[in-house]
Amino acid sequence: MTSRLQTFLRSSIGKKLLMALTGLSLIGFLVVHLAGNLTLFVDSDGSAMAAYAQKLADLGPLLWIAEAGLLLLFVVHIGLGMRAAMENRDARPSRYKDAAPKGGRSAASVTMIATGVVIGIFVVIHVIDFRLMKGLLAHPDPATLAKVVVARLSTPLGASIYFIAMIALGVHLWHAFQSALQTLGLRHPAYDACIRKTGAGLAVVVAGLFAAFPVLCLIYKGNWPWS
Amino acid sequence: MSAGHDDHGTGGLDLTLHIWRQESSEAEGRFETYPLHGVSPDMSFLEMLDVLNEQLTLEGRDPVAFDHDCREGICGSCGMMINGQAHGPERETATCQLHMRRFKSGDTIFIEPFRARAFPLLKDLVVDRSAFDRIIAKGGFISVNTGSARDANSLPAAKQDADLSMDAAACIGCGACVAACPNAAAMLFVGAKVSHLGLLPQGKPERSRRVLAMVAQMDAEGFGNCGNIYECEAACPKAISVENIARLNRDYLLASATERPSSAQGEGA
Amino acid sequence: MHSTPTTASELFTRASAAKLDSKCPSGPMSERWDKHRFDLKLVNPANKRKFHALVVGTGLAGASAAASLAELGYQVSVFCIHDSPRRAHSIAAQGGINAAKNYPNDGDSIRRLFYDTVKGGDFRARESNVYRLAQVSNNIIDQCVAQGVPFAREYGGLLDNRSFGGAQVSRTFYARGQTGQQLLLGAYQALMRQVGLGRVTLHARHEMLDLVVVDGIARGIVTRDVVSGEIESYAGDAVLLCTGGYGNVFYLSTNAKKSNVTAAWRAHKRGALFANPCFTQIHPTCIPVSGSHQSKLTLMSESLRNDGRVWVPKNKGDKRSPDSIPDGERDYYLERRYPSFGNLVPRDIASRAAKQMVDDGRGVGGNGMSVFLDFRDAIKRDGESKIRERYGNLFQMYERITDEDPYRVPMRMYPAVHYTMGGVWVDYNLESTVPGLFVLGEANFSDHGANRLGASALMQGLADGYFVIPYTIGAHFASRKLGKVTTEHEAFREAEGAVRARVKKLLATDGRRTVDQFHRQLGLLMWDHCGMGRSEKGLTHALGQIRSLRDEFHQDVRVLGENESVNMSLENAGRVADFFELAELMVIDALHRRESCGGHFREEYQTEEGEARRDDENFCYVAAWEHAQAGGAPRWSLHTEPLSFEEVKLTQRSYK
Repeated sequence: MTSRLQTFLRSSIGKKLLMALTGLSLIGFLVVHLAGNLTLFVDSDGSAMAAYAQKLADLGPLLWIAEAGLLLLFVVHIGLGMRAAMENRDARPSRYKDAAPKGGRSAASVTMIATGVVIGIFVVIHVIDFRLMKGLLAHPDPATLAKVVVARLSTPLGASIYFIAMIALGVHLWHAFQSALQTLGLRHPAYDACIRKTGAGLAVVVAGLFAAFPVLCLIYKGNWPWS
Repeated sequence: MSAGHDDHGTGGLDLTLHIWRQESSEAEGRFETYPLHGVSPDMSFLEMLDVLNEQLTLEGRDPVAFDHDCREGICGSCGMMINGQAHGPERETATCQLHMRRFKSGDTIFIEPFRARAFPLLKDLVVDRSAFDRIIAKGGFISVNTGSARDANSLPAAKQDADLSMDAAACIGCGACVAACPNAAAMLFVGAKVSHLGLLPQGKPERSRRVLAMVAQMDAEGFGNCGNIYECEAACPKAISVENIARLNRDYLLASATERPSSAQGEGA
Repeated sequence: MHSTPTTASELFTRASAAKLDSKCPSGPMSERWDKHRFDLKLVNPANKRKFHALVVGTGLAGASAAASLAELGYQVSVFCIHDSPRRAHSIAAQGGINAAKNYPNDGDSIRRLFYDTVKGGDFRARESNVYRLAQVSNNIIDQCVAQGVPFAREYGGLLDNRSFGGAQVSRTFYARGQTGQQLLLGAYQALMRQVGLGRVTLHARHEMLDLVVVDGIARGIVTRDVVSGEIESYAGDAVLLCTGGYGNVFYLSTNAKKSNVTAAWRAHKRGALFANPCFTQIHPTCIPVSGSHQSKLTLMSESLRNDGRVWVPKNKGDKRSPDSIPDGERDYYLERRYPSFGNLVPRDIASRAAKQMVDDGRGVGGNGMSVFLDFRDAIKRDGESKIRERYGNLFQMYERITDEDPYRVPMRMYPAVHYTMGGVWVDYNLESTVPGLFVLGEANFSDHGANRLGASALMQGLADGYFVIPYTIGAHFASRKLGKVTTEHEAFREAEGAVRARVKKLLATDGRRTVDQFHRQLGLLMWDHCGMGRSEKGLTHALGQIRSLRDEFHQDVRVLGENESVNMSLENAGRVADFFELAELMVIDALHRRESCGGHFREEYQTEEGEARRDDENFCYVAAWEHAQAGGAPRWSLHTEPLSFEEVKLTQRSYK
């Protein structure tokens, strides 16, 4: 019976399905993460974000479990992506002189690996930066968190790294959502347009809002005119 | 026919062809350049290659090898990359149905074989696509022996399903989907066959076995993974929809979860 | 170089002894096949695996035969020249397949399909064979549906039918305009299932170049691997030729480029009689030739004549665009001349009528070499979307080739060579005059007489493969002593040697003209003199020309490259060499048959209205030719198999 799951996961479609599921889960995580981050803009003294961070810290061991799960999602998603990329390269050992698209591909679909690598590198930097060094663990006092975030994002270097990564995320998501549903077999002409629009909307909204952080921090340095 | 008339236009097209030449699978390949003059716009692409080959033969040079047969877009024999596009620039068109009126005088055309590890090159533009046959042999059929069928009208099929099945069954097995796919995946070919048979009531009994066996063989042949890039659909001379790939994914997931181990081996019939 | 023959005796000899036994059963027509099946000896199930059948060709006949024989338990090896069995030219058949199901409740029956086919063939087919064909037609549809052929259906989920030429009932089953493709894929999939199960060994990209006969029985073949050039022998207990027709002798035809006569011709030269070679079908609706570069012609399905109306201008040389020619100045000549069948007259009649219009100076198009097939009225009646649903892919194909939109401008059509009713002579068991050599599908001559009705080729190919050969081959295995023969046998050595010598000679000739140049010239000769209209004078002229062109071919052909790799011109050269010999026999056959029947129209023998005039007194027979080499040049002797018509009365065919 073990072989059934193994066979499935070794098959090209099984791998893709797992990528799709981990990808969709990561999209879910992004949405939650975004919602939490948005607390930064609630006030200029950082108390909203502090309250949110405190709630996370209060989860205690549960947070560790959630983070371990998240790590696993990333590892599986990235690992499968890299494996697929290598297999795909092997599947065409000699390249075409000039492969010209006939209309199927989009800029997003053919750059999934590239945007994925950019996002991957960013995630490592991001985790080291916020989670391990300046984040919750390094700052037992959540009150200073918002200030740390703003300080990080209002330097040109920090802002540009963050901004570029979010553009890559947007491009990645542009293809990701409908691709994941296609891989799961969820496709029907009646819903095609809807799925495509949802995916595009998701990409624009999620990546756009994330990208707004460095931009706004750079402009307002944490003193939001609306609060 | 005896009174064949003149090609229209005066001088025809002047073209520069860069064609991939390779003696055999082991040999080194390279592009060779052939100027060709006075090509009639009414010619098909293969007729243009015929003219080149006649010319090469008369000059004592080895003609270009390419696969072809019916020349009406249905046998699936022909197929080459024309300026980086499988079957050339026209949509829903096999190479043999591509006409030279699609090109302008002075054009440079690069002609390459379909490239994929699962399609080893045999000579020049000829590749071995027998991987497709092996995939069909594993499960691309309905197991019914001659003589055991019941009356054709005793098993009604919804017109919508029959039409969708026919859409998928239109596949000519040319391999353009693999050639055009950046990953050299064969999902559209397999998806089309799985859909053609699975959508019909008579294909339902073997639906799970079929999809498991065909995908296993597809993977064993060394095709790439589907990235949902949809270049296959764009290159397909029969415009077979990637909806068939979604159906393949769905069927595979379901079959993997539900098929009983004893019959999942794809043997016996 | 060659003296022009003047009398029949110089052309051929008449065989003295009767050699042809059709083995047709006697008794009431409707019981003959049942009776025959009962009388045939059976092979015990356990013994079946001891017998090995070699099947050459994987079209409808070959694939269905190979799959069915393997299902029964025989060992089967299959050979095809393509890279895959699925590419055989059956795949290009568009319109449909006939069966006597009578689903539309319009009066069809086995007897009516039988009657239509005998009459459509202008009384030059064997009644017993045709009756059997009509009988098994229904089983074919059942079998194909069970295999998953996606035939067109009605909303209620049941099968749809359309009309075809030569019939007044709707009995044609279809899968859009790709019926041949779908039927072939069904047979191919059945074949590949057996390959997957290890019961069939598949040899793709192998061309049969000779037949091996041991002790008078066909026991093997010699092939060339078209990739490696390897000449290989295969031994077995029976050989099945399912290698299609020889329409490419005309160079331009609707056949695929690789379709050829070589396998059948090699068998002929090893003793199999070749029957009615001059019976060729010229299909009325093909896209006209566009220039000298033309490499093949594309057919537009006969089903188009369900809705399209054929016409030419009433006035000679009327060069106006079709939409500016008012109805009063159009001649819908098929509707005018054949009011009861109208545009759906059989192919030979429609083709000849088109030729008469063009000869009369009323043809259309730049060179006046075509007629209109007009959908204006059908579009007005049913709407464009309905027409698109019925014929969309055909219209698209037409536009690709001609750059004209048939929804707006009438299609231009002209007849082209499409099918050959002639072929290797076979008896009721589909066995040739060489015991153990069976010939199926278009490669044999059996069921269509002098003209084949539309949607009947698919029917015959599948009937032979699925429902005839599985029974009749058993009798061969069970009743003949078949000792063990291996490829070490002297006969194999000799045949391999002959093949190698032919290949070597072609490569060594080093002439100045290409294979295609010769082929084109031969084709033109055949089209002009042995095509839609034939005359003593033209045929005699052609015969001399063919012979000298053949000699030139062998002295002046240029085949480059080597045997040991993919070599398209070498493959082609071998096929064209055989076409030259076949062409000669076709012309001799056409010369000897001093009557007009079906597709064979001798201008000297026509009625006052220009219809074919048969001579049942002297020519109500199958002409079967035996090959004999006479000092380098081929010679033939004629055997005749008289045809008797017990069920369908011999009458002048009328579609008026």
